[in-house]
Amino acid sequence: MCTMKTKKGMPVFWHVIIISTIIILLFPILFALGMSFKPLKEAYNDTLNFLPIPFTLENYHALFESVDVVKITWNTFVIATIITFFKVVTAFLAAYAFVFLEFKGKKILYFLLIGTMFIPFAATMIPNYLFISKIGLGDNIFGVIFPQLSDAVGIFLIRQSMRSIPISLIEAARLDQIKQRHIMRDIVLPLTRPAITSTGIWFFILAWNEYVWPVLILKSVENYTLPLALQMFISSEGGTNFTVAMAVSVITLIIPLSLYLIFQRYIIGTFASSGIK
Amino acid sequence: MKVKSFVREVNWKAYILLIPTIIIFILFMFWPFAYTIFLSFYDWNMVSPTKEFVGIDNYIAVLSDPITFKVFKNTGVYILILLVINLCIPYVFAYVIDIVLKRWKSFYKATLFLPSVISLVVSSILFTWMLNPVSGPLALILQQFNIPMPNWSKLDGWAIAILSMITSWKVFGYNFILLYASINGVSREIIEAARLDGMPLWRIFFSIVIPMSSATGIYIFIITIVFGLQYVFTPIKVITQGEPNYGSSNIMYHIYHEAFVLYRTGHSAALATVMMCFFILLLIFEFRFVERSVYYEN
Amino acid sequence: MHAIQLKNIQKSYGNHEVVKSLSFDVRNGERLVILGPSGCGKSTTLRMIAGLENITDGQLIMGETVMNDVDCGKRNVAMVFQNYSLYPHMSVKKNITYGLAVKRVPKKEINKRLSEVLTMLELNGLENRLPRDLSGGQRQRVALARAIVKQSEYFLLDEPLSNLDAQLRVSARKELVKIHDTFQQTMVYVTHDQVEAMAIGHRIAILNQGELQMIDTPENVYHRPKNTFTAKFIGSPSMNLTECDYHDGCLHFQQQQLKLDNNWVNFLNEKRRGRLIFGFRPEHFTLSYRKENNALQAMVQYVENYGENYGVHLEFESKEFVILSNLKHWIKGDTVYMVPNFERIHLFNKLDGINLDYPNALKENDLPLQLNEAK
Repeated sequence: MCTMKTKKGMPVFWHVIIISTIIILLFPILFALGMSFKPLKEAYNDTLNFLPIPFTLENYHALFESVDVVKITWNTFVIATIITFFKVVTAFLAAYAFVFLEFKGKKILYFLLIGTMFIPFAATMIPNYLFISKIGLGDNIFGVIFPQLSDAVGIFLIRQSMRSIPISLIEAARLDQIKQRHIMRDIVLPLTRPAITSTGIWFFILAWNEYVWPVLILKSVENYTLPLALQMFISSEGGTNFTVAMAVSVITLIIPLSLYLIFQRYIIGTFASSGIK
Repeated sequence: MKVKSFVREVNWKAYILLIPTIIIFILFMFWPFAYTIFLSFYDWNMVSPTKEFVGIDNYIAVLSDPITFKVFKNTGVYILILLVINLCIPYVFAYVIDIVLKRWKSFYKATLFLPSVISLVVSSILFTWMLNPVSGPLALILQQFNIPMPNWSKLDGWAIAILSMITSWKVFGYNFILLYASINGVSREIIEAARLDGMPLWRIFFSIVIPMSSATGIYIFIITIVFGLQYVFTPIKVITQGEPNYGSSNIMYHIYHEAFVLYRTGHSAALATVMMCFFILLLIFEFRFVERSVYYEN
Repeated sequence: MHAIQLKNIQKSYGNHEVVKSLSFDVRNGERLVILGPSGCGKSTTLRMIAGLENITDGQLIMGETVMNDVDCGKRNVAMVFQNYSLYPHMSVKKNITYGLAVKRVPKKEINKRLSEVLTMLELNGLENRLPRDLSGGQRQRVALARAIVKQSEYFLLDEPLSNLDAQLRVSARKELVKIHDTFQQTMVYVTHDQVEAMAIGHRIAILNQGELQMIDTPENVYHRPKNTFTAKFIGSPSMNLTECDYHDGCLHFQQQQLKLDNNWVNFLNEKRRGRLIFGFRPEHFTLSYRKENNALQAMVQYVENYGENYGVHLEFESKEFVILSNLKHWIKGDTVYMVPNFERIHLFNKLDGINLDYPNALKENDLPLQLNEAK
């Protein structure tokens, strides 16, 4: 490789720009973390200083007394887990069919499914709401699950990963008279595991953060999910529950954040290799 | 022994694998989509047992309503701001981090992506407090310079700007990663050859990197519009509910507002249909373009 | 009997015909090499035999059964792919035994076959490695091992050595022949490398643009090419060809002429013929500075060093010819003479490129070739 000649100041300039951006991006998270461990009075008097001194857990106490955080977190977890499971399984099966099998209507079906990524929720919102109410799942955590299952992103991401498997591997297996389900289980699944893991984590994070369907379908607080509960603590006029709002924010963001930090490499890798073709 | 052709045997297996997906998409995507179009021709309030067929009256009502035009205008402003923050800036960042800089690449990638995993409700709340016009940290800093912090959530232009910013906080990193991957896929040899020719970096960006990653660029352009408008829905709903006087509402929120606040499903459905026509045009544009540039890469 | 018969096999993708009405047999236990330039349809043919591609038209018979519609898993073929297609997440041992295990071959039998094949291919000690931890040659041997443990009657290889470096390729093909001599399956081997084809094949089938050009022993393919394509394709540097007419016992080129010997004159006088193509191999004519009787005059263009000898590029009536020489002293621009060897010339019809055949006397003298044909 040739050594590149750039002006000396260039990299430094860009490092400064990028690091400043990162500080701006991370500030809200640090702000929430710090404030949630600060007594309200100290927090409110100087919102610039977010270091949790003096340190207190009283915000979390107050939060747990005002709403059933455990139940709400559990709801969020159950919904996100079920959605993730179904989306990953159906996407894996569909992607397998699209990559390794030949069938009539393959192109048009793929086009239709991928095309739905561009249909906004607003275009299907009313009928979905009516349907969920009709089958008696209004104000039920399972009512939140169904509309979120029709998401083609998983098919797209997993298909992309499957396409990197050389087709001759599958042909070698076919010559050995290995059944489709064995090819799927013994060859394709292990080779796409990283993509499946990160797609799953991503789905879990999406479902955990979902706001639209819970807001439409869930009515009673005991069925709420975390983002929905969070909404109760907003008040831009400022007010008494500032630090508690920060505490519930922290609870809502901590799971996706930890998942991301643990699986960061996988997730970045999957999106980076997804490309668009 | 009866022998079967491999291809024919595989055919039905493919359909079995696709059945769960097809059922889900018919029930929760295709049918609702068609039903929305159906509803756009009826006058209904979601509760009454009868729907009245009104032809294109809903479309006429919606398109002659000055509020609709205000919302369209807002939507345009949202799109513009989102495109600048979530397409142009990440494009430059991706180029700089991949090609100009040599160190801390994976750290930058990981941290820039980080806000993408956080709920928009969380960011709405955090920013509401941080941008609190009286006691928020930004207000305190501005106080030092004797600049009054505007009460942004009550002011027409300000509300849109701040809500776009909150959304961008989440979307920025995601777009950045996709663009980074695409730029990373541009052949290093071509870039090195350009450098050997003494081409300045900004020129490499405009005349090599952008054309060669244009497929992803167009894709991000589209999703910034399509997803961006959907993402903005959450901060609008959480913070302003479209206030002041539809000043911060966008098309997504307005569709929701018509249906679930005003109970005018016909108007809502007609708006949704109009919006989809616009998106389908975008989509056709994308497929055309992506197809062309894929061809170009070969 | 495990012979393979292709009867008018045809393959098209849409309107594009890749293989055009191909017919030949592969004999039981034979090593047949399909040789051709890239894009000639040789891999497609192999994949149709394997069952990985559908046959558009024609009949494929393996043993006594028509195989056109038989699932590829049930054809009892083993195949080695060009990229080896080892399962990257499985160890060497797992790669070799996976197919057997899924087919529920008894454990004892699997282990017996495994240890046999590991020893035969010198893979002992590598059983637990993953493919990515192996060298190219080792990977190739694992791919071979995986095909061998199946103990199929048909053994198909799709350019199995083309990813190896030159030295390794020579030893690997020796090994391959040795293994085949042990198991004696019916083997079809696809390659674009003519040296490999000569070294491995009992017979070679030469394909071009989806059509069979010639199928015969390596010796006949070299010395008795059926048409100009084969003549040109086999041998390196390739055969010198130029147009001419025959009358009065002489070949008439643009300006010069060559008087033929009696064998050829008698042979040609009995033949119906039009315009001809005359050919000879670079290694069969000699060069001389002296003006020889009945030699063709040419001008030296440049001399290429091949190590053991030199390729002298000549201009003969505005055509470029090559002749191999042991000497280096040929100087650009010099006039030289090409001395013919009438036992080693070839004549083809201009119209269809088909070989006119050879005088009987020449054929009778060709002992090595006859021996091979009788085999």
